[in-house]
Amino acid sequence: MAEPAAQTAFAEEALTHLDTLYRGALRLTHDPDAAQDLVQEAYLRALRYQHSYQQGTNMKAWLFAIMRNLFWDRFKGARKDDVSLDDVGDFVLYDKLRDEGARPESDVLDKIAASEVVAAVDKLPPLHREVVLLVDVEGFSYKDAAQTLGVPIGTVMSRLHRARQQLQRSLYDYALESGIVRPGGSAQVSQL
Amino acid sequence: MRCQECADKLDRFVDRELTNTEALEVQLHLEGCPDCMEHYEFQEHLKRVVKHSCDCDTAPVAFREKLRQILS
Repeated sequence: MAEPAAQTAFAEEALTHLDTLYRGALRLTHDPDAAQDLVQEAYLRALRYQHSYQQGTNMKAWLFAIMRNLFWDRFKGARKDDVSLDDVGDFVLYDKLRDEGARPESDVLDKIAASEVVAAVDKLPPLHREVVLLVDVEGFSYKDAAQTLGVPIGTVMSRLHRARQQLQRSLYDYALESGIVRPGGSAQVSQL
Repeated sequence: MRCQECADKLDRFVDRELTNTEALEVQLHLEGCPDCMEHYEFQEHLKRVVKHSCDCDTAPVAFREKLRQILS
């Protein structure tokens, strides 16, 4: 066990990454109480295994790896293999919007509420969701994301690509349902 | 660079994962190709929207304090 002062310093540094871990846990569990349980367990485990953390390396990535491994072990019963993302083909929101005459295409994104974007992220299968969380939300490099998830960089890239395609499909469906864009090529971005 | 090659590298360009040389090649293509530039701006915008939508959740203050107590 580390000296008390060293343990306190370790804990303080670890707590600077709490928001990242909490956000990740919330997106993985979809439940604030479960997220707090998961994060607390992750911190306790991190403290127990702090000797395995190498000073000067990426503590945020190390903590996130502990947290997501706990999630898969305890919350999902370690059943990673059966979670996949259907191939949505080459569907790209941008192309669909162009086809339907909604211009400028980027304006559509500004009209979609943040809660709908979060809902679209939440709908992603967890293996794809966690890549989006790491790279797009928390700004991890592919290398750090790969290390955190224990997969090759190529897997990070392919999961990210498919996740973004699925996100675009979900957002496009929402934009259609809510009338932000109208199908059939007559559409301008409606002024909601 | 052809548009297809640019499209293939767009994810890594948006994520700042290309080498300097590759990034420069993509940048030069974008500056001369309005279609690819629009596509890039859209992808960049989407990434920003996802980040801003998801990063507003922060750990509750009481939870942070509870953790600090447990860990000290």
